[in-house]
Amino acid sequence: MGSRRSFLKGCALAGAGLLGSGTLTQGERLLAASGLDPGDPEVPNEEIARILKDLFGNRPIRKGHLSLDMPAVAEDGRIVPVIIESGLPMTPDNYVKAVHLIVDHNPDPHLAAYHLTPALGSVAIQTRIKMKRNTWVRAILETSTGDVWAAYAHVNVSLNGCG
Amino acid sequence: MTIGDARIRIPDRISRGDLITVNAIVIHPMDTGFFRTAEGQPIPAYFIKDVVITYGDEQVARFEWTSGVSKDPIVSCTLTADKEAPLTMVWTDNKGGAYRQTVNIAFAAA
Repeated sequence: MGSRRSFLKGCALAGAGLLGSGTLTQGERLLAASGLDPGDPEVPNEEIARILKDLFGNRPIRKGHLSLDMPAVAEDGRIVPVIIESGLPMTPDNYVKAVHLIVDHNPDPHLAAYHLTPALGSVAIQTRIKMKRNTWVRAILETSTGDVWAAYAHVNVSLNGCG
Repeated sequence: MTIGDARIRIPDRISRGDLITVNAIVIHPMDTGFFRTAEGQPIPAYFIKDVVITYGDEQVARFEWTSGVSKDPIVSCTLTADKEAPLTMVWTDNKGGAYRQTVNIAFAAA
């Protein structure tokens, strides 16, 4: 997966070099607009770009302080387990106030939002979700002080669970 | 089991200040609106869209869901058990149905 992307990225860069212009692929353009790091999964379409923009504005979305545990292969897309955990503090003056779960290639990508308070004591959320096809899944949290942290998981889906 | 039946599971023995895990399930079809019956009739979207967790008189969490959450949704989270009080969850679906379940958080005698 990574090698294919870096290959494509290499081609894009080589192409840009040959043309002597700053032409970006659609993926790179959306990436640049979203505040993600270059190593993160590309933003696949305008809908995901808009969701990220609406939630986090122009704040950078960096990897870390959060884990997203999902199977690499989901046999049944109707029931895919999800575990989201973070070691960030849950104190009244600094806590994780929301965790967003975004499934890039689902019909309704912004699948769930978990609004949390310090009373929970920690961030450890488990659930089960439906998935349509092979896709990146994004878990992105927002702290009460405005920081944004993300974790990603790629899941191959054997049986479409979304119809 | 009928729609709206719900269960919350917490540890048997809790001491003041424990970080406990709260497990919950509600029975609900979570229909996406994308499927049809065997007769070809569309099945309208029917899903839990909002979950509120209250501990004593404090709202400690609220979840916004879509039909992308699996049928008979389960969810678990942690809670700092710092007072003896009821823990209540209310699940609300997109047709206005609201389903409530409560467990009592009480501390084991030392």
